[in-house]
Amino acid sequence: MLLKILSKSDLPDAVERLGQRYRIIAPMLHEGQTVFKELLPGDAPDMEYRTTPLPPKKALLPPREELIQLQSTNGESRLEPVLDVQPAVLLGVHTCDLHAIGLLDKVFTEGVPDQHYINRRRLTKIISLECLEPCSEHSFCKSMGTLAVPESFDLHLTDLGSDYAVEIGSKAGLNLLWKFFTIRDAGDDDYARLNKAMSEKWSRFNYRLDIDATELPGLMSLNYADELWEELGQQCLSCGACNLVCPTCFCFDVQDEIDVDLRSGVRTRVWDSCQLARFALVAGGHNFRIRRGDRLRHRFMRKGKYIQEMYDRPGCVGCGRCAQACPVDIKPLDVFNRLAAGHVNQSEMKKEAIV
Amino acid sequence: MTHPRAKIAFFDFAGCEGCQLTVLDTLQTHPELLQAVEILEFRESMSEREDGYEIAFIEGSCVWPMDEERLRKIRAQAKIVVALGACAHIAGVNSIRRSMSPEKAAEIVYGREVQNYVTKSARPIDAIIPVDAVLPGCPIDRHEFLRAVSMLLQGTLPQIPSDPVCVECRLDENRCLLLRGQACMGPITRGGCGAICPAFGVGCEGCRGMLADMNFEGLREQFLANGLSLADFERRISMFLSEQTPTLQVRA
Ligand code: SF4
Ligand code: SF4
Ligand code: SF4
Ligand code: SF4
Ligand code: SF4
Repeated sequence: MLLKILSKSDLPDAVERLGQRYRIIAPMLHEGQTVFKELLPGDAPDMEYRTTPLPPKKALLPPREELIQLQSTNGESRLEPVLDVQPAVLLGVHTCDLHAIGLLDKVFTEGVPDQHYINRRRLTKIISLECLEPCSEHSFCKSMGTLAVPESFDLHLTDLGSDYAVEIGSKAGLNLLWKFFTIRDAGDDDYARLNKAMSEKWSRFNYRLDIDATELPGLMSLNYADELWEELGQQCLSCGACNLVCPTCFCFDVQDEIDVDLRSGVRTRVWDSCQLARFALVAGGHNFRIRRGDRLRHRFMRKGKYIQEMYDRPGCVGCGRCAQACPVDIKPLDVFNRLAAGHVNQSEMKKEAIV
Repeated sequence: MTHPRAKIAFFDFAGCEGCQLTVLDTLQTHPELLQAVEILEFRESMSEREDGYEIAFIEGSCVWPMDEERLRKIRAQAKIVVALGACAHIAGVNSIRRSMSPEKAAEIVYGREVQNYVTKSARPIDAIIPVDAVLPGCPIDRHEFLRAVSMLLQGTLPQIPSDPVCVECRLDENRCLLLRGQACMGPITRGGCGAICPAFGVGCEGCRGMLADMNFEGLREQFLANGLSLADFERRISMFLSEQTPTLQVRA
């Protein structure tokens, strides 16, 4: 591993220099919470942040995004795709969110490639940030295997107190480092500091899944017909928050809007949620997931099973945002652990029956 | 390609005229509207009136006996009737009177001596005539009005969102009031207003009306779990939602 050392006091200068060349999206304190936002000159990123309401996914897949503009002049119609052209740096991405971006990369490049996503992804360099403490009481990244950084970063920072250890993940990252940062090579002492920070962090993450994450898809299959779904369906308000804050959700709705002159218009996509009553409404007025319990089950099946099986990556990265956001306290870890406990009870009972 | 301007008219019943004012203001912010439509009647802004309108936008609730006749006349003439705003859609703020008799309401507002008080309990216009489309809200949302006009010009009925207020609220990263133990009707209320009340730290009052598919009991339970009272919940309901909450109605 090639390690460089960046003094924390040199970060603001580096950010300012980067800002002259790139749009910088970073965690920033805003009205009492930290959100990912575009930095304006003079803004300082909040590098000590815990978690954010919406994940940094929004820098690559905006919550509302114009896809196509329509213009009609003298009877001739023109459709113009809207593509972002400004290079960007996405700063301060935690490891769970980086894993989620890895999933989105697969989703939007395989099958039908999504030009809007791919284009923006190409233009965006990622500077990630090691998590040394749980970001909230709800996060269970360690159980989901997302507490270790995947390789998809350009630069990766680990807080060493007065410095950051900087790992280089790509050529682009190396270029950024040379052009914009004041760094020094790591000495033996720095490696020791990094090792210490990394070995001490794991024991701080105690909120966890009671089974191994590899068993989750199987557990979900076994519990497709569990009564838990109906029970949770009684409480769920179908507000959609759990999906809208989730870094691995990628469903969107497409809306066309024509101006009153009937000559111009836009096609927009907006993040969608499978918990909303109209999500599964199809032509002819049929709704194939009319019950809230069915919708909740669908969501947890996606998070625990379907995505893992389709994309070979966890469908839930354990960020805890949905647990934080749910107004009626429906929490994924509680759901998984309750199913696991029920399953353990059942197999105990079976064992007893056999004995 | 030019197309004939759609002939439209505006009518008002019991309401504060805020929705008509929103239309008037939209005509100023979006003057291209006047190339798209021809306004044949609009008492709020002009004294001329002409018959032959195709689309009637109706603001306000039905409260007087003579309102019914007037509504039927409009219906007979218009090809398309659009309910404009909460008063027309769900009897709006006027529906607060729902929880008491007309006599009681008259007494509260005018004192005991009131005479010739013919006002009845407020009703939405679809209690009298069929309505083809609704533009909800108190007042209406100007962008939704523009979209509706565009759709009508394209020959389709205006569509309004059927997602709860929470969706836009979360997309904008507002701090959720319900999560902080405060009252908010967002989860059961139709979105499309940009979650403007929670964006300013005020709980949703439900002015855009209740969704057909929502969890009424679940929200009430959550109010109680948050330490709010049943009275807090009913107060929220009585502002805009009593028309859609049959259990709370004492209709006269
Ligand atoms: S399901 Fe919840 S905990 Fe899992 S990634 Fe999504 S928001 Fe995070
Ligand atoms: S956040 Fe909670 S209440 Fe809202 S849809 Fe998700 S599970 Fe249901
Ligand atoms: S809906 Fe609200 S703004 Fe519109 S007329 Fe009624 S009270 Fe006034
Ligand atoms: S503040 Fe109200 S509208 Fe916004 S998310 Fe919370 S409950 Fe929904
Ligand atoms: S947040 Fe609620 S009360 Fe406020 S405008 Fe929207 S629907 Fe009406």
